[in-house]
Amino acid sequence: MAGGQGGRSQLMKRAGPLALAAPATLGLLVFFIAPLAAFAVYSFLTGALYDVKAPLTFENYTEAAGSDLNRQLGRNSLVVGALSALIAVVFALPIAYWLRYAAGRWRALVLFLIVASFLASYLVRIYAWRSILGGNGLINRGLTELGLIDQPLDFLLYNRFAVIIALVHIYLPYVVLVLYAGLAPLQPSYLETAQDLGAGWVQRWRRVILPLVAAPAASALLFVFVLSAADYVTPQFLGGTNGALLGVQVQVSFVGTGDYAAGAAISFAMLAGFLVCYALIALGLRLTRLDRVRFAA
Amino acid sequence: MSGGWERYIREYNTRRQFLRRAGFVTMAVGAGPTLLAACGSDDDEPAETTASGPAKAPKASGRIDYLSWEGYDIPDPLKAWKADNEVTVKATYIANHDEIQAKLKASGGAGGYDIITYYQGYKPLYQELDIIEPLDEQKLPNLKNLFPYFASKEGSFWIDPDGTRTGVPWTWGSIGITIDKRRVKSMPTSWYDLLEPEFKGRVTLPDDPVGSFTLAAHVLGFDPSETSKADGKKVFDLLSQVIAQSNGIAPTFGDATTKMTSGDADICWQGWAAMNQFAADAGVKTFATAVPKEGSFSFCDAYALPKGADNVDSSLSWMNESLDPKVNAEAATVLVGGVTVEDGVKNLPANVASLYKYEDLDSLLERSPFYNNPPVESDEFVTFEEVQTGWQEVKADAPS
Repeated sequence: MAGGQGGRSQLMKRAGPLALAAPATLGLLVFFIAPLAAFAVYSFLTGALYDVKAPLTFENYTEAAGSDLNRQLGRNSLVVGALSALIAVVFALPIAYWLRYAAGRWRALVLFLIVASFLASYLVRIYAWRSILGGNGLINRGLTELGLIDQPLDFLLYNRFAVIIALVHIYLPYVVLVLYAGLAPLQPSYLETAQDLGAGWVQRWRRVILPLVAAPAASALLFVFVLSAADYVTPQFLGGTNGALLGVQVQVSFVGTGDYAAGAAISFAMLAGFLVCYALIALGLRLTRLDRVRFAA
Repeated sequence: MSGGWERYIREYNTRRQFLRRAGFVTMAVGAGPTLLAACGSDDDEPAETTASGPAKAPKASGRIDYLSWEGYDIPDPLKAWKADNEVTVKATYIANHDEIQAKLKASGGAGGYDIITYYQGYKPLYQELDIIEPLDEQKLPNLKNLFPYFASKEGSFWIDPDGTRTGVPWTWGSIGITIDKRRVKSMPTSWYDLLEPEFKGRVTLPDDPVGSFTLAAHVLGFDPSETSKADGKKVFDLLSQVIAQSNGIAPTFGDATTKMTSGDADICWQGWAAMNQFAADAGVKTFATAVPKEGSFSFCDAYALPKGADNVDSSLSWMNESLDPKVNAEAATVLVGGVTVEDGVKNLPANVASLYKYEDLDSLLERSPFYNNPPVESDEFVTFEEVQTGWQEVKADAPS
């Protein structure tokens, strides 16, 4: 009897996590993997008007790769995504550090404000930057009032600079939270110990803090890179005449021209590009052994 | 605060997207007698009688599933009709016209939509996709109220050559050059004026590939639905020059208005009289719109019955109601557009009535015709897909 109960208990132990994971797994299969698989198939079919048909072909990929326009938009995506991600991480790191070790009683309030910033709509943030950077915006008006300029500074808006500023602003809170969580296991006493052992602030950052946050920083970097590179709304509002990114071609294919096969192929080409970036970052972490850095509690 | 912003943005997106579907079929001149051209303008005149008896609107009931632009469900103008018939509307709003065919094709007719709208240039595409149903004119007595032009078969926009009706035109408009008089002192008389050095970096234009192509083709003297591949290069060359004058493409027509009201642009290629009103709503009453000497193009939207509609009578009753002179005028007022119903004009407020010269519609439409979209497939003419791709290319090649 006791053996039976023990067996059941063991079974429960094994089955428990599976049962808990089952709904999410099922949801992922039905709502994510299955549509993705369907579009993978679409990408190898022949495009018809708002439809796909036989025969199977690799032409969608060769056309996507051979298109000058796609390559140009792909380069735009790469530049905007990489710069936005790098700047967001560089800005977020000191904020996360301050929150973890120096914010004191301000910590809860600042964390609340960071989370609350998610409530602001995406479009509102974009328009807010318009009102800051525009010809009659806050900066230009302020500088004019101060007598520092006669004409508005045109380079502030409708270019990549404005796009990257807005994307960094949009994704910075996510990155701060990820890095803050990455620093959480590192107790202040460890930094004090390093200091007692003669490590200056540069050494403490280089040998203690950065190795510890390398993995979460890489995750945040990829997160911002993927979302920024695939964004096609912000560049349209702030990016000037040639600010489009590759994502717009996916939208045009699916909705505008009804060429599902071409749209699917561009989507999977982008996905492949993102996976390559992921693999490169993972490889970099492994080669530098930063992927193994753990902080024992 | 953010709610206010969102409402502001939403409203602009809605109203102006109207324009982006502006379209495309050559208006045949001198069309023959129409089914409904004899319609009187007198409300007391009896409904047209056919061999099947007098036309009569069906009784509406239940829920109508609507798929189109926000605002095109004209909630306020139809308020009394919905209350009288105890009808409810479940609306699905779109962000651009192409979403309609995309959703209808994706659902395979099983989407449950009862009523859609289409911009006249999309008629051939919708027929090719087989996503709209013929309409029973016996259930649309208010068709008699239409202006002769909108009641006619011209262009086959709403009536096929064999007399089959596919749409009920209920709102329309023309485009032009829109300026902010605070910074542009005199209205340009030609589209080419926008290429002058004084407007460098001060032009805005909406991200509307087909609309911009249609306008540029018209300016160069081509029919956008039959523009040869060689002439297509000239059209895109003109668009390149326009884009080079701008400081960015506005993603929506509303955004183009916002750029002008905020002082980031002074003049709009593919502007629209309604932008004057949108700007006035935002407190800027210095917008003006005019059609230059080369003319422009017009757009008209029609209600239609999608395949798979399961509340057909209610949809037909809705379409019929939209042609009531008061309802039609109220819709035009809300949307800052044109009426398709002759008696609707007298119900318009002065600022909306003055948008278009109803007393000489033929001349207006001759100067700014309704066009068809570029063809889906053609070895001879620039196709719809080539317009989309070409537009992205000229944008990408523009100087930053």
